[in-house]
Amino acid sequence: MNTQTLQRSMPAFDREAWIQRLVLLGAVVFLFITLLAPLATMLAKSMQNQAGEFIGLTNYIEYFTNPALFQSIFNSLNIAIWTTLIVVSTAFVFAYALVRSGMAGKKVFRTVSMLPIFAPSLLPALSMIYLFGNQGVLKEWLPVDSIYGPMGIVMGLSFWIFPHALMILITAMANSDARLYEAAKALKTPPWRVFLTVTLPGVRYGLINTIFVVFTLAITDFGVAKVIGGQYNVLATDIYKQVVGQQNFQMGAVVSVVLLLPALFSFWVERRVQRRQTSQLSSRAVPMQPEKHPLRDLFLTGFCLLVCAFLLTVVGMAIYASLITFWPYNLTLSLNNYQFDMMDGGGWESYFNSLRLAFWAAVIGTAVVFIVAYMNEKVKVMPQVRKVLQLLAMMPMAVPGMVLGLSYIFFFNSPGNPLNVMYGTMAILVLNTLVHFYTVCHLTAVTSLKQIDAEFESVSASLKVPFYTTFRRVTAPLCLPAILDISVYIFVNAMTTVSAVVFLYSADTTLASIAVMNMDEAGDTAPAAAMAVMLMMTSLVIKGIHWTLSSQLLSRTQRWRQR
Amino acid sequence: MTSYLKIEQLHKRFGSFTALNNISLDVKDGEFICFLGPSGCGKTTLLRAIAGLEMQEEGSIVQGGQDVSALPPQQRDFGIVFQSYALFPNLSVADNIAYGLVNQKMNRQQRGQRVKELLEQIDLPGIEEKFPGQLSGGQQQRVALARALATEPGLLLLDEPLSALDARVRLHLRQEIRDLQQKLGITTIMVTHDQDEALTMADRIVVMDHGCIAQVGTPKEIYDRPATSFVARFIGSMNLIAAQVMEDGGVMLGSVEANLPIAAQPSTGLLGFRPEAAEVSCCATVVDQSKLQMQGEVRHLSFMGAYVRVGVAISDELEIELDLAVSEMDQKQITTGTSVWINVAAEALHYYPDQDPDQAEAESRVAAGAVASAQNNMAQVAAEAS
Repeated sequence: MNTQTLQRSMPAFDREAWIQRLVLLGAVVFLFITLLAPLATMLAKSMQNQAGEFIGLTNYIEYFTNPALFQSIFNSLNIAIWTTLIVVSTAFVFAYALVRSGMAGKKVFRTVSMLPIFAPSLLPALSMIYLFGNQGVLKEWLPVDSIYGPMGIVMGLSFWIFPHALMILITAMANSDARLYEAAKALKTPPWRVFLTVTLPGVRYGLINTIFVVFTLAITDFGVAKVIGGQYNVLATDIYKQVVGQQNFQMGAVVSVVLLLPALFSFWVERRVQRRQTSQLSSRAVPMQPEKHPLRDLFLTGFCLLVCAFLLTVVGMAIYASLITFWPYNLTLSLNNYQFDMMDGGGWESYFNSLRLAFWAAVIGTAVVFIVAYMNEKVKVMPQVRKVLQLLAMMPMAVPGMVLGLSYIFFFNSPGNPLNVMYGTMAILVLNTLVHFYTVCHLTAVTSLKQIDAEFESVSASLKVPFYTTFRRVTAPLCLPAILDISVYIFVNAMTTVSAVVFLYSADTTLASIAVMNMDEAGDTAPAAAMAVMLMMTSLVIKGIHWTLSSQLLSRTQRWRQR
Repeated sequence: MTSYLKIEQLHKRFGSFTALNNISLDVKDGEFICFLGPSGCGKTTLLRAIAGLEMQEEGSIVQGGQDVSALPPQQRDFGIVFQSYALFPNLSVADNIAYGLVNQKMNRQQRGQRVKELLEQIDLPGIEEKFPGQLSGGQQQRVALARALATEPGLLLLDEPLSALDARVRLHLRQEIRDLQQKLGITTIMVTHDQDEALTMADRIVVMDHGCIAQVGTPKEIYDRPATSFVARFIGSMNLIAAQVMEDGGVMLGSVEANLPIAAQPSTGLLGFRPEAAEVSCCATVVDQSKLQMQGEVRHLSFMGAYVRVGVAISDELEIELDLAVSEMDQKQITTGTSVWINVAAEALHYYPDQDPDQAEAESRVAAGAVASAQNNMAQVAAEAS
């Protein structure tokens, strides 16, 4: 056969590749508009005066020559360092007890330790007021004069961040190779040396990761410092004061840029650590079976009991306080504080708004995140674009909520932007929440997609089945557990977050978490606690439904998992 | 037989790494072809290029008279089976096999019929409702084969289909795949790094090395007349001795001089013969110019079951290996320390002159032990693959 005379078949219109290209480009444009453009606008704003003229670094010079302002940097660092020390050391021992010891009651300890995830960060702060405030039940125990200040912030943050640290450390410790310990034992190594030479190096990446996650959460948190900070200013509350209190948007932008720096730094460190971590554990590793050591286990049980007692006290105090008629004079129990319509902050309507926000953010967010992650992971077109997309998807993790929220004001409220119709609507809240929590969801989706055979797309191409059919029939059903995880994660966070949405709600779209803050500001501490409890209960109910769904629905649709 | 697949001057690079270097190949209709080579030799890339899963930078692929070089995989005609089976774990066996039939305008009944037919062909009738996770590895791979064949493609591509299975199942499936292929008469290309698989299954073997085709031929051709020292080393075992061919037709094997019964230009290179190709005797033999003759002392004996591998030192720095039947060993009373005379017939000898000095040095270093065992080679490949 002579190929010279043969006509080369030109590909028929490749509809699939074009759909893939469109979705990928759409995702890049989406993250560009909802993340990069607002941040760029904020950066520009920080170099403008009130009239919007470019004035270079004048605002920054003003900031750094005003001790009242830049003192907050040291305050924030102070808070973050103390919180990191307390949380990481506690979580390390707790995780060790859960994973490596023969302690009894691990399930209970683990469940209790996850409670703070479901509470808005305002809840521990309110609880601190009832425990250690001027009329607190445990006021005498407090070593300092007042809970309003660094002490309160660190305690509140420690409560709220603890489960985040614990989750990373549990994963790090669970990924250990029993053979290393057996080798150490065979070489007659004393336990302390095993700990230093095997245990610690094995978890070092997880540990570094934890330190930076905790540090970032602590330095960027707004809720706790807002409620219990008193006169102690931190960066996140400064942004709020500048913008909402003094209407000084430019200075708000400057503080935001300052707050962005430590977050970007820890983001960068974490990425580097992540890259090294990949080949830590070989596939031949043998999982550890924890052994019993009565004395050690007893000590660890005591430790876990103490930590859980603290967590339960904080939660319990908030619930109890919300049910007290009039603290501390009338201690009869009633539901008076739950009559939110009698208070400022939007009443019950704000609670339902929060539900609406959480629902839409979960539904839309899960779909967007999963489809984008799929395109990024399983599709071969436009490798350069996919690289850009991967980077963009990682970025939201580095952007503190306050900074993202303020950026949205600048970007979406500008009269020249055709998207400014969204301003003040539920849509912008959904969008903001989705972007705010994008990265963790993206990573969850990518992880579960990576576990799926890479040749499914090739097989379906060979069988002339379009990729979206395989996505619908195979990939999505296989990733159902991850999809449910993502939607619950977004839902819970949308219910409890304050920082990003505090700049974006309007009179029609007040949110429950904002109501907590506003009621507390107005002196209605008990109703604030009541609303915080409502938020936590709702999140817990959703988590409960998720758990039931995962076990019931999965057992039905995932029949194939059984052998 | 007519040509079914024609590949011409295919080039493919990944960054600075050349995966395929000027590959041309003609596959006949109904032929079973094996791409054989160590990992990283480009065999899988070539298979994926034929499927359209990788796009070549240059060259053309003509399949069934149609130039498919620029087509995406959906618009080509092939079925594929992967090492990992790639069965959809959430779909039943029937749904897996019928996956490609759904868009072929077949109704449910026809589909069920076709699935039943295919399951009988792969000798697994009645497992329609099971899920892949409930099947053994060998069964899963057969279902994957049925799925690839369901749409009756013109070309079947097998990407190391047996590598993930244990040895016994592998032997059984080899035969089964080969039988089914012959029954259906479907043109088939299989990628493998296992020489036994290639030798037993293929009509023709394409041995690949560093992105190039080293040799194309029937299993017997490849085994009996390896075109290069690489092929010689990769398929079976071969003694490869650094040699210098002299002007007078003799040859220097290290410090040992011998006659060379085959024609070769004066040069340096590698002289090869298979361990089973040598005759051994315990007393001096008559001088025979038609054979390579050497004398040495037995140093090692390794019992291999059917035969014994004998290490013979020709000189202090040169040792070769011979395979002798156990009965022959007993008869000739060969043990460690025995002096032996070795004759190798001209037709069993292969001489590979060095292409360039650098390579010659590298190869003679590899051949320092004088034998390059393909078993060693395989173990290395397997270790790299895992």
